[in-house]
Amino acid sequence: MTFPVEIKNLHFTYSESKKNILNGVELQINKGEILTIVGLSGCGKSTLCYCICGIIPHVFEGDMQGEVLIYGNSTKSMRLPAISTNVGIVFQDPDTQLFSPAVEDEIAFGPENLCVERNEIGERISKNLELVAMEKNRYANPENISGGEKQLIALASTLSLNPQIIIFDEVMSQIDDAGKLRIKKAIRDLKAAEKTIIMIEHDIENLDLTDRVMLLKEGRLTGFRGSFQ
Amino acid sequence: MSFSYFKGKTAVKNISFQLKINEVTAVTGPNGSGKTTLGKLIIGILKPDNGRILIDGIDNNKMTLGQIGSRIGYLFQNPDCQIFATKVIEELAFILKFKGSKEEEIKKSISEVLELFDLADLQNSYTFNLSQGEKQRLAIGAIMMGRPQYLILDEPTYGLDMERKAKLVRILQNLALNGTGMMVISHDRAFIDLIAARKIKMSEGEIIEENC
Repeated sequence: MTFPVEIKNLHFTYSESKKNILNGVELQINKGEILTIVGLSGCGKSTLCYCICGIIPHVFEGDMQGEVLIYGNSTKSMRLPAISTNVGIVFQDPDTQLFSPAVEDEIAFGPENLCVERNEIGERISKNLELVAMEKNRYANPENISGGEKQLIALASTLSLNPQIIIFDEVMSQIDDAGKLRIKKAIRDLKAAEKTIIMIEHDIENLDLTDRVMLLKEGRLTGFRGSFQ
Repeated sequence: MSFSYFKGKTAVKNISFQLKINEVTAVTGPNGSGKTTLGKLIIGILKPDNGRILIDGIDNNKMTLGQIGSRIGYLFQNPDCQIFATKVIEELAFILKFKGSKEEEIKKSISEVLELFDLADLQNSYTFNLSQGEKQRLAIGAIMMGRPQYLILDEPTYGLDMERKAKLVRILQNLALNGTGMMVISHDRAFIDLIAARKIKMSEGEIIEENC
């Protein structure tokens, strides 16, 4: 059986560090599943996300052992654009993601680079801005909007790529209540469309969406029993 | 007080209010309602278009950022905007070195803050290698090193796990008990309910509700 995401005995050490941040991660995620990963800050959750979306080993340097398979293909042998077509990630810090001078350019950037047809790009911009209720900021410079609004634009940009696997790294931490409800609805709709979703979360209130919760501790994934210890 | 980033969009509109020492005030409201702008105006990073901000009765326009910073500790919404030192220990030491504190006092304070924020194992780490949650703990710890009378904390629970969040609540409650006032900007209702007696809600740059 081929899983959207399968991880086999994954170890990773950043090149400046002597400590294994990931130490034998094993994981299989089913199509249409929402998996939430929890753990203490600094335990490697974001590093695991970077491994799944190919930033590790293609951008960040370090010693990576084991394998991350996307629909059966190892990220080591896939090129980054091929991984990006399948895996979208909304980063924890939107400032690391946004770079365009206007919100609509930001959302258009991904599909433009995937050679999506022009009218379709326009439709994706409108649809995803409506999804996060940010239509009023369509022509704004991302530098001039609030931190929470930046997070919503980063989310819209990732969804505009229409990926099959989506990673949300603590996306709701700076979002107001109305925005959280909109994001939760969007995630439920993505699940209904059989997208595979990986969430990194600290807020227990946001775990109601999830099919499965796993704890990352000492570099390994285990079942979550309500405590990080 | 009013403030616009550029013509046609007013971020803060005709706001008048007081913040007291010995009081924890939470500022809530939708994304883009002006909460962060309000914090930046109080600490003097931004200057109001109209109106005045008085800190201990002194117009903050007549104070240097250093003078404001010695009274008010400010946590940026994004710790990357705040952390500038190469190593964790250097970041923590900066404020006391800047104030000319004695080496022994600096070491003692660093040791306390490292312990308080679970950063002891990371004291010699490069700050750019830290996770978001570790950066957030470092940023808050660095502010505590200066022992300001008042704190403005913009989304202090951002990136913190449940256990570190619970610990931060205890730390802030202790500070409040010992007379440190705070303005906390947050969307985290559970956190706000635990620490703030006074709540202000903003929308479209205005205060629309108090003690909501």
